[in-house]
Amino acid sequence: MLEARLEQAQILKKVVDSIKDLVQDCNFDCNDSGIALQAMDNSHVALVSMMLKAEGFSPYRCDRNIALGVNLVSLTKVLRAAQNEDILTLKAEDAPDSLNLVFESSENDRISEYDLKLMDIDQEHLGIPETEYAATISMPSAEFRRICTDLMAMSESVTIDATKDGVKFSCNGDIGNGAVTLRSHQNVDKPELNIDIELTEPVGLTFSLKYLVNFCKAQALSSTVKICLSNEVPLLVEYGLSGSSYLRFYLAPKIGDEE
Amino acid sequence: MGIKGLFPIIKDEAPAAIKEGDIKNQFGRKVAIDASMSIYSFLIAVRSDGQQLMNESGDTTSHLMGMFYRTLRMVDNGIKPLYVFDGAPPKLKSGELARRFQRKAEAKEGLEEAKETGTAEDVEKFSRRTVRVTKEHNAECQQLLKLMGIPYIIAPTEAEAQCAVLARAGKVYAAASEDMDTLCFDSPVLLRHLTFSEQRKEPIQEIHVDKVLEGLNMDRKQFVDLCILLGCDYVDPIPKIGPSTALKLIRQYGTLEKVVEYIKSDSKYTLPEDWPFEDARALFFEPDVRPADDPLCDVKWEKPDIEGLVKFLVTDKGFNEDRVRAGGARLEKATKSSQQARLEGFFKVIPKTDEEKAVHKRKLEEQNEAKKKKLKEDKKEKAKAKAKPRGAV
Repeated sequence: MLEARLEQAQILKKVVDSIKDLVQDCNFDCNDSGIALQAMDNSHVALVSMMLKAEGFSPYRCDRNIALGVNLVSLTKVLRAAQNEDILTLKAEDAPDSLNLVFESSENDRISEYDLKLMDIDQEHLGIPETEYAATISMPSAEFRRICTDLMAMSESVTIDATKDGVKFSCNGDIGNGAVTLRSHQNVDKPELNIDIELTEPVGLTFSLKYLVNFCKAQALSSTVKICLSNEVPLLVEYGLSGSSYLRFYLAPKIGDEE
Repeated sequence: MGIKGLFPIIKDEAPAAIKEGDIKNQFGRKVAIDASMSIYSFLIAVRSDGQQLMNESGDTTSHLMGMFYRTLRMVDNGIKPLYVFDGAPPKLKSGELARRFQRKAEAKEGLEEAKETGTAEDVEKFSRRTVRVTKEHNAECQQLLKLMGIPYIIAPTEAEAQCAVLARAGKVYAAASEDMDTLCFDSPVLLRHLTFSEQRKEPIQEIHVDKVLEGLNMDRKQFVDLCILLGCDYVDPIPKIGPSTALKLIRQYGTLEKVVEYIKSDSKYTLPEDWPFEDARALFFEPDVRPADDPLCDVKWEKPDIEGLVKFLVTDKGFNEDRVRAGGARLEKATKSSQQARLEGFFKVIPKTDEEKAVHKRKLEEQNEAKKKKLKEDKKEKAKAKAKPRGAV
């Protein structure tokens, strides 16, 4: 059986909030190392990969591999009943029909308990190869969001060019064009505002802004975001969570026509 | 038309083979479309007040209207269509064609009669049945496609077979047809409902042949045999053999030869006199098609000739000029924009372990079993309700 106690309900609330527009139904795969989730959007352009490590819970217990097939809209409804600071406990049997969620208020003795019906989801899993990315950019997650929403007003796609001079986000739309360039930058007082660019070779790729803006909903989870690029592979956008847990998004690039 | 009752079988036995989704999920894919069938469906469906659309001089324009707007819908959604026209029909289809011809003749008579005596509804019904795709319809559609910059090829015989060959060779992602025959021609993927109107809100059905075979637990030969037994365009169906019997017979005997032997030896079924199933099978396995590496199959999507479109559709056929120009602009835009790639091109699907497959299969069987049980019980209930004398409480 599974029993996982999370000190702050907001972590799960925010994770689900940031992926529910991309994915409708998915399996939460639980095993002794933690709770993982991998799902693609309907058109198979973007992929969400989440890992909540066992260390992030106290206590965490899962003796057998369990797949919890969840409708994320329904899960959102249940999680709305939890306050951000509540203690959240997930419980499930070995071959469960439902997932039990308990929210304990940290301030008073209020305890609420919900059972969410589960479903059978026949899901395809993708093997994601370990990749040494040519460019890795760390920046404040709010900054990334601002770039994406600003450029979204101009065009549906953005070209990201990483060179030794910096990273340039540029777009070309019907009403005109626009570009934002960032350079490596250290802020001694507020290290969370650092911009850090690691580059082994120049990269230039084009992506759909609609998806990137969607990923930016995860901004609430982490103050910084890591963007990894290599030519001719999907983009990786990673929001780090406490411990080595993470929420990752992959996005397939747009490619020029071969003809 | 097609294979009788094949879709429900696949739905029950191999649900994993069928995916349904929005047309926009098909973006970036090249698709070979059975043109002749599409034109036929346009002639039937694209109407106003039950009448085919016509220009001022009385020429039918339903097919052009359908071809133009439904193709635009695909292009808007990032699909690259390639139309394949029927060539000469194979000889074995003559039976089916003769039947169709007879039906048309009957319908024509019916139409005459309905015009004299029947209601407007009857007239409409019969007039739909008299629809035939003529050489002129085909020629006009080909002219239109050329102006739109959409490629087309003419198959030596059956268009579906040619579509399947192109898909198998990877020239296109899928064959699009309403006809389930296309699966017998071994198209890896079949798309249905692609040329439907937007208003029908029908999701696009994607049928994967490998998953069909896996779900039915058959090889391709058995699958084709099953389709022949179900009733295809080339041989008559056997009376009293429906989908469930056909499936049972093929599962029990393995090949059509043995099924025929069984039917001949002793059974309640009678084989039609002339039942050349071997020829039908040969048509599915070795259809007369152009190999995919033939230079004639090298196709290109080009820019539309907007002035040409305006001249053909507006001046000759009486279409609205603004709409045609707007359509041309949409075609032009589609040739320019870059294509969104899919993740599958980069990350590979991890194949399921045998254990997972077994679990999945068991669940499916349980589901089917439960469904059957429920059906049976429902029937029993109904029978019970009927058995009660009327008026009894």
